[in-house]
Amino acid sequence: MSDPVLAIETSCDETAAAVVDGRRILSNVVASQAELHSVYGGVVPEVAARHHLTTVNAVVDQALADAGLTLADISRIAVTRRPGLIGALLVGVATAKSLAYATGKDLVMVDHLHGHIAATWLEPVALDPPFVALTASGGHTRLDLVENYAAPVLLGQTLDDAAGEAIDKGARLLGIPYPGGPGLEALAREGDAGAFDFPVGLKGRGPSADFSYAGVKTALLYAVRELGEEGTTARRADLAASYQEAIVRPLADKLMRAADTHGVPAVSIGGGVAANGRLRELVTEGAADRGLQLAIPDRALCTDNAAMIAAAAAFTPIIAWPDFVGEDAIATAPPGGIAA
Amino acid sequence: MITFALDTATPTPVLALCGDDGPIAELWLGQTPGGGRRVLEAAHHLFGSAGVAVTDVDEIVVGVGPGGFTGIRIGMATAMGLGQALGIPVHGASSLEALAVGGVLVREGDELVAAVIDARRREVFAAVYREGPDGALTEVIAPAAWAPADFAAAATAAGPAVLVGDGAALVPATEGLRVAAGDAPHRISALALVHRVRTAGPLPVQPAYLRLPDAEENRLKRIAEGAGA
Ligand SMILES: [Zn+2]
Repeated sequence: MSDPVLAIETSCDETAAAVVDGRRILSNVVASQAELHSVYGGVVPEVAARHHLTTVNAVVDQALADAGLTLADISRIAVTRRPGLIGALLVGVATAKSLAYATGKDLVMVDHLHGHIAATWLEPVALDPPFVALTASGGHTRLDLVENYAAPVLLGQTLDDAAGEAIDKGARLLGIPYPGGPGLEALAREGDAGAFDFPVGLKGRGPSADFSYAGVKTALLYAVRELGEEGTTARRADLAASYQEAIVRPLADKLMRAADTHGVPAVSIGGGVAANGRLRELVTEGAADRGLQLAIPDRALCTDNAAMIAAAAAFTPIIAWPDFVGEDAIATAPPGGIAA
Repeated sequence: MITFALDTATPTPVLALCGDDGPIAELWLGQTPGGGRRVLEAAHHLFGSAGVAVTDVDEIVVGVGPGGFTGIRIGMATAMGLGQALGIPVHGASSLEALAVGGVLVREGDELVAAVIDARRREVFAAVYREGPDGALTEVIAPAAWAPADFAAAATAAGPAVLVGDGAALVPATEGLRVAAGDAPHRISALALVHRVRTAGPLPVQPAYLRLPDAEENRLKRIAEGAGA
């Protein structure tokens, strides 16, 4: 039976809408603002919110058109409620509530992190629990044990910067324009990852599944200062490779260790950092060594998108019409990580 | 023909339903921070108490500001979402002009009407209007963000005026400028939004922020300084 869900995601700098039917993606539209924010060297919340407002209705129309459906064919509407930039979230929430209210449909309010984890539920990956999920992006870095998609259990998370944030900051120190991920990775490919011994956060803390990236960022800053302009230019590739290694290696190591600890047969990676080739190499090796199934959704499902919000909506309580009219966006993540 | 009108640009959001023969119901929300976030809940109550279903609405009029950025966006996102789902037109109206429509009712003699919205950061969003013989509003001072003292000087130069809006009290007391008495003239009426659209025609549904994002302001400043150096 057909049960298409329209989902909207506006928590950061992507205006996204998707139509998902069960585990099947019918459409997945993302209007990226990355270029808009690049002149500021990072996401500017007010600029993001303004752009969401002028874009969101057209993105919804496009998602419906791509799916070959109209709003009348949609079973219910899902939207990212939290966490994120509040001004950005509010545009998506107001839009989704209004669409649902006017069409008499029910609403599902989804946690963005739940979305990143549930992306693997969608075809063609269609991973079934149990597994350990690594989510690493510009806003979040965490490990969850997924015994069922409805209630991922947080195993560890970053204590300071997110992995993607650390990558962007390091890229800026090396003169790579925002967003720095792809540029840093390309540069790192020409360098020696062992050239600089950057500290890996929380290395000495035993089996902690948490992450820390403040130290490595500072270490890169000192290295750049010590080398001076000329020295830095000469060794940019080595710096990039060593820095990238210090960020992605703990992600892969702790993912594998968590898989060992919990005895799961599979691991997954998601979030924008999952696009990083070096991280993919490391987790591919680690999973092969252990005979684990490795699930990596398409790049379009790793970076922020609305299909993943529709996926999480399948495991989030439905708010019946019109009980959602008073529901609101929330900037922060709940303690423990995920909530409807 | 039923028109649903809403404005969430100021701390006292307002919504109304209007028929061909006049107002059906109007609802003001109390002054609470982020009150605009309750606008759909308020709309549901408004529809319920007026015995109107949302699907009965034929057109939507939304205040496009100026005012609080987040408030403007919630009102507009709500209006555009409803309009998109219902397949009905959405029209914009200036929140300052809607204030001025109320100001006309309390002006004395030949007074101009100065509509003033608190813009925070010790500024006001303000404009001055003259009511013509046919009841039409003409702009004497165009909407902009002002330091209150500068606006007082400009408004005084234009002629005696009555001040309306939640920013009226921020304008320094100046001879020739009079703050309207009571509360009502200082709140936007959603019916005034409808009046503007029906008499002066709709504005495009584009937010009237009247102020750049800080990051953009700073970027332009850096470019200007760089160019000057
Ligand atoms: Zn994300």
